[in-house]
Amino acid sequence: MLRALELRKDFGGLTVLHPTSVEFRPGEVHALMGENGAGKSTLMKVLAGLYRPDGGHVEWRGNKVAFGSPHDALVAGIAMIHQELMPIPDLTVAENITLGHEPCVSLGRIDRAAQLRLADKLLLELEADIAPDRLMRTLTVAQTQVVEIAKALGRQADVILMDEPTAALSDHEVAALFRAIARLKARGVAVVYTTHKMEEVFKLADRVSVLRDGRLVGSAPAAELSPAKLITMMVGRDLSDVYPARPKPSADILLEVDGLTREPAYREISFRIHRGEVVALAGLMGAGRTEIASAIYGLQPAASGQIRLRGQPISVRSPRDALAAGIGMVTEDRKGLGLIPALGVGQNITLTALREFCYGPMLNHTAEVAAQQAQMAGFSIKASSPAQPIGQLSGGNQQKALLSRCLLTGPELIILDEPTRGIDIGAKAEIYALIQRLAHAGKAILLISSELPEVLALAHRIVVLRRGSVAATLDATQTDQETVLRHAMPL
Amino acid sequence: MLALDRNLLHRFGLLLVILGVGLALSVATDTFLSVANLTNVARQISINGILAVGVTFVLLTAGVDLSLGSVVALSGVACATFAHPGEHPVIIPIAVGLLTGAACGLVNGALVTRGGVAPFIVTLGMMTIARGLALIVSGGRPVANMSNELTAFADDLFGVPIPVLCFAAVAFAAWFFLRNFRLGRHIYAVGGNENAARAAGVPVERVKLFAYALCGLLTGLAGVVLAARITTGQPNAGQAYELDAIAAVVIGGTSLAGGVGTITGTLLGVLLIGVINNGLDLMGVSSYYQAVIKGVIIVGAVWLDRRQSRS
Amino acid sequence: MRLTPRKAVTAFLAVCTLSLTASLFSGCKKAETRKEGEILIGFSSRDLSAEYTAKLSEAIVDYAKTKPGVKLVMVDAQSDVQKQFSQVENFIAQKVDAIILNPCELEASTPAVDRIKAAGIPLVLVNQVTKSAGDSYIGSNDFDAGRIAVEAIAKKLNGQGGVLMLHGIMGTSAQLQREAGAREVFAKYPGLRLVDHQTASWDRAKAMALTENWIQAHKGKFSAIFAHNDEMAMGALLALERAGMKKDVYVIGIDAIAQALTAVKEGRLDATVFQDAVGQGKGSVDAALLLARKQPCPKETMIPFQLISRENLSQFLK
Repeated sequence: MLRALELRKDFGGLTVLHPTSVEFRPGEVHALMGENGAGKSTLMKVLAGLYRPDGGHVEWRGNKVAFGSPHDALVAGIAMIHQELMPIPDLTVAENITLGHEPCVSLGRIDRAAQLRLADKLLLELEADIAPDRLMRTLTVAQTQVVEIAKALGRQADVILMDEPTAALSDHEVAALFRAIARLKARGVAVVYTTHKMEEVFKLADRVSVLRDGRLVGSAPAAELSPAKLITMMVGRDLSDVYPARPKPSADILLEVDGLTREPAYREISFRIHRGEVVALAGLMGAGRTEIASAIYGLQPAASGQIRLRGQPISVRSPRDALAAGIGMVTEDRKGLGLIPALGVGQNITLTALREFCYGPMLNHTAEVAAQQAQMAGFSIKASSPAQPIGQLSGGNQQKALLSRCLLTGPELIILDEPTRGIDIGAKAEIYALIQRLAHAGKAILLISSELPEVLALAHRIVVLRRGSVAATLDATQTDQETVLRHAMPL
Repeated sequence: MLALDRNLLHRFGLLLVILGVGLALSVATDTFLSVANLTNVARQISINGILAVGVTFVLLTAGVDLSLGSVVALSGVACATFAHPGEHPVIIPIAVGLLTGAACGLVNGALVTRGGVAPFIVTLGMMTIARGLALIVSGGRPVANMSNELTAFADDLFGVPIPVLCFAAVAFAAWFFLRNFRLGRHIYAVGGNENAARAAGVPVERVKLFAYALCGLLTGLAGVVLAARITTGQPNAGQAYELDAIAAVVIGGTSLAGGVGTITGTLLGVLLIGVINNGLDLMGVSSYYQAVIKGVIIVGAVWLDRRQSRS
Repeated sequence: MRLTPRKAVTAFLAVCTLSLTASLFSGCKKAETRKEGEILIGFSSRDLSAEYTAKLSEAIVDYAKTKPGVKLVMVDAQSDVQKQFSQVENFIAQKVDAIILNPCELEASTPAVDRIKAAGIPLVLVNQVTKSAGDSYIGSNDFDAGRIAVEAIAKKLNGQGGVLMLHGIMGTSAQLQREAGAREVFAKYPGLRLVDHQTASWDRAKAMALTENWIQAHKGKFSAIFAHNDEMAMGALLALERAGMKKDVYVIGIDAIAQALTAVKEGRLDATVFQDAVGQGKGSVDAALLLARKQPCPKETMIPFQLISRENLSQFLK
């Protein structure tokens, strides 16, 4: 019922979407796959009326349409959930969900009770445990995502476009979302959906279309595809081994965490990491993974407990202390705690280690630019120049730049919080390889990831958290997803 | 810092507006384009220019300083109090003026970083406190009888007014600093994303404290220059100076949200406001219309400029 | 010391409480020490940070001290109409015997005057009228000041030549009156041309910049500058001196502030028009006392302006 006919989109002379034709049918879940920058988001935004096509047109229920704005598309029955979340932080969950179509009584007064009921019903459909009267700003990234999805559900849309809805969700939230999508499907809604997670596609999608470099590579029923074939279509080459082999850790202990506690987030957390070892913190959203990592990096110091590095107790009150001790971190919240969007990629990379490129208080531009270029080449960061604002780059390139920033300081312990969230498979593979190279070089790595296959393949040991306590410490090579989940689930 | 190409476009756009206004004035009056008048423009923009350079640092950290005008008055009065002929060597009143400004800036900075009070409120408080102190120190009357050594601070040196030289030196130093010092880079980082800067190990509090203190120091300098120029320390001087200074910085492309902006842009902004003020006087435009025209040109310039940098 | 938010709040509250208690105590003390038969006069000054007003207020306070059995309480309205209104209400509550009011504004201060009249307290207005009249007005006519200044220019230039005029803040009664007085003289001398006029808002720095621009725009076309006050006259003077043009231009201001008198003495400023602060001060205290004792008092007393130039300067320098 919704068709893209020879749609083309240009940005400043560059064609980001070459003439593409795809058809989306009611009651079908259609996955759009491709690396970052392949044109998936662009295609979706044209369909949702956010961009105007530079060629071709959109056909909706058999008629040629030209949406002037997302609102036009919404009225026609096409809703989009954006990758970049756009909540209004100081409104309640219910107000956000019903934004723009608030239930009203006479004279345009909002019917608060009906608003709360409606929000509650939608959230229940997603099996989300979020009180509709909470302020948006108090929610986690995952909860915000769920609210965004509820918002689109509330529009009674015939087509729902979802740009990476699961990027920030934990596994049981993903499962709930899938059940909601199945219900939408049964109602005859067309769901269009992008993701980087291979497993999801085969679990969920009826049809898969693959884009590469702004061109449609192919479109086929999911049943006719295999993961290997899909990856080949996406990257244009074989990625025989996405996960490299794990090097053997040394016997030398680098980090010891002993009885770390900050109520109510986590308590009595103890674990150790050897040099050359990758230890993963696993658990559901809100289990305290990010909070513990933040404590070790000094972003949010723990109330009690001890952190020992190379056997010496250290006091980490701020990231500056952590960096001085040899601890580096790439945070989960790229936008909030990572990027300085207006600064160039290069300057973002050298920000933390800037002292290395200085004579006293003055910058040594030659040395700095040389380092920037070397890092960008080494991490294959694609940007027009080191001066291009980092805010303009794709998620994968941003993430590689932040990794590069962290590693430039030469840390011995590296904390990676969701390092592969929202980036394409090619960039993921590069980051996996990098993690193993770092381990091989004798660094200790603390990894947090919501993607269990990733955790199982990369880590040596997995510390499973449940509601702020250590539930189990597992040998990653001897365990499986079910075991990890069993420990992670609240009893 | 922005990408180079966008930056150039930006400056280019504003430069076009200034050239356009200049061209119009050269046609409309036979005096605008004379050495004497252009010297005048330079002399008249120097105080606003020094203030604008100072407040650029604060705006870059996503702060604001509303106390500029009052601190100008307080520093001027403090300077004049120590500048009576034959009492102290001329360096004393100058130092007193500068330090008074710097002290006010430090207090602003300390309250913003340590006290966690919003910059708008802190500097609003300083605005009335400094004005009050200026009145207390001076007893409500202009402090006159200043030594010739100090008032010579407003004279010419090799045909160039000393205030203009001060402004030029301050602007160059600020430009050089932001470009070539680690602290300069840190200022952009803090303004661009304070939390990310902290997570990247930037000493955010120190950086902000520095920005406010430097802004205060330059405000003190502006106070000394003003006192020398009008040969008195006026407790009522500097009313609403902060508005002209902030307007100049914003016209110059510095974002009120912080993290984006250049000293070159600020210079152009200062120049535009100065040329408008001078031009309207030259053309004998009535007081009532001057205010309206000035507002229209300022808003129009920013609008044109932003349009151009978007395309 | 590390200033935590809590400490800061505590300190702030402490200061507030202290100053509140202090003011309460001082208020009580005043009420207690009011002796039988003593006459209490309340005086609200427009703005003690303005030089002329400060001089006037000082004259009022000093003169009241010379009168036995009279107590005068002065408050400063800081150019704030609302503040002055509450000060007036306080005076009424204290049951003062007379009020001397130096109103902030022509229109906005009228309600305060009406309130005093409704309370039946004798009221003397000084240096600024309001829409409602008080029992007595002591002032100088700004119209005369403008007239005297431009007459002096006309005399100096023999009725021929270009003049520049620097306005005060547009729309204030002093600016309106001084301009009107000036315009009357311009009408009288067809040879006297007003080349340009612009506001410098009573401000020295603004007047200086404006004069610098005028020197460029109107070079050779003017031979006198009239500034609505001495501050601006000083600014114009500095600009002319810097351009080396003072000898060709006659500069005159109004108010006779100390710096202007010094400048006249040094032969830099040509003249100023003297607004007699001491005369106004004495006049208003005298009127307030007459009214408080229920004696007849003239509705209006005008203290004349006087031209001060080098010739008669010695009379005004004490």
